[in-house]
Amino acid sequence: MFNYTFHWNQALRALPQMLDGALVTLQIALLSMAIGLACAIALTLFRLSGNRILGGFATAWVEIARNTPALFQIYMAHFGLGNFGIHLSPYTALLVGIAFNNAGYLAENFRGALKAIPDTQTRAARSLGMTSLQAFRYIVLPQMLRIAFLPATNQMVWAILMTSLGVTVGMNTDLAGVTQELNARSFRTFEFFALAAVIYYVIAKAVTLAARLFAARMFRY
Amino acid sequence: MKKSTVFAFGLAAAVASTGPAFADKLDDVIASGTLRCAVVLDFPPMGSRDENNNPIGFDVDYCNDLAKALGVTAEIVETPFPERIPALMSGRVDVGVASTSDTLERAKTVGMTIPYFAFEMAVTANDKSGITSFEGMKGKVVGATAGTFEAIALENQVKEWGEGEFRPYQTQADVFLALSQGQIDATVSTSTVAQANVKTGKFPGISVVGKAPFDIDYVALFTNREEYGFLNYLNLFINQQVRTGRYAELYEKWVGGELPDLTVNGAYR
Repeated sequence: MFNYTFHWNQALRALPQMLDGALVTLQIALLSMAIGLACAIALTLFRLSGNRILGGFATAWVEIARNTPALFQIYMAHFGLGNFGIHLSPYTALLVGIAFNNAGYLAENFRGALKAIPDTQTRAARSLGMTSLQAFRYIVLPQMLRIAFLPATNQMVWAILMTSLGVTVGMNTDLAGVTQELNARSFRTFEFFALAAVIYYVIAKAVTLAARLFAARMFRY
Repeated sequence: MKKSTVFAFGLAAAVASTGPAFADKLDDVIASGTLRCAVVLDFPPMGSRDENNNPIGFDVDYCNDLAKALGVTAEIVETPFPERIPALMSGRVDVGVASTSDTLERAKTVGMTIPYFAFEMAVTANDKSGITSFEGMKGKVVGATAGTFEAIALENQVKEWGEGEFRPYQTQADVFLALSQGQIDATVSTSTVAQANVKTGKFPGISVVGKAPFDIDYVALFTNREEYGFLNYLNLFINQQVRTGRYAELYEKWVGGELPDLTVNGAYR
């Protein structure tokens, strides 16, 4: 039997605090996407380069990022590196962990997108006198980003939700951290967590919608 | 004859319909034959696991004593600190024997008994940090276990100092790991926990450097707020534990040293 009286007042009074936390959550997610995108492009280039060391590095990164839990990656960024005397603050550790994860998944997105661009385009570009880097930069990359854009918004949503794992490394300023603390003080678990869930939902939905609008404007033939 | 049959039926129906309505949690526990206790097993010497992975500690023994008094078998349900209340509210446990500080804020949600244990707070620091007292933590990075009395007090203190940083970790083990690695410079924990963790030798380079001037942390058993019958029983049980010397016995077994007084001078409760 669920025997519980809800005190919504108390949760609503903490709403401003939680919204401040939501801003931190959004900030980490955006930063981690920016870093992740840059890393993913580099990883894609490494894999295309034909260099065995760079290719191996990129493959190892993608394999670890995609086949281990995000919780593990974030925990390692804090406590794992801490073991070797490298101290990342909870904020940085969370950012590094999610960016690492994003880069791995985005690199796979890009690989799929590249497959959809016919090789003949690169060859045509090269025959017009472009270097291979120019051909990538001006012909392949714009198309690749365009094809990978909507799948990448999934990753953005995923990054927002992953920020909640920061509590395991002592993060207390993001939405999950603020919620945990409010809960610890008052024991009103269900109210605070329900409110946090609504805020996460709204942020994720807003990001998806914004991405769709952006895509509709940008990617018209 | 017909009349009396009808009357008998009516009486039987009345008894049957009113009977269960009076069964409270105390009845339910006795009837089910099992007492399910929420215990934190990441909090030596109050709760931990031995080398065979069996739960041990002061809280575990306390739960077993309570079950014995009720004439039922005890079931230890491991709950990390932040999950004690959800476990109770979702009906997975009957009572929390989980070193829970009896704050007024929390008492709005759950029913707290009289104190069954009391903690003093100690500062444990990383040897490299140069912290030798509570005041030495000003401006440093400090941490504690999220959701505990000392975490709330320490965070308020850091805010009052206006410098330094506070980090809450999810388990006591993570706090001491972070402290040992130098991720945080110092922590405030109950003195029993501090000594137990320093003694294990699992966390090198840390030592207990002094007391923290926080209020004594009285901890209570808790159950659903409206279960007065059960709360009444629990209060009497705690009183009997002290009266019979069992409290002192358990304290000597798990902690040792001077027995904390569970009464507050000058106030009724």
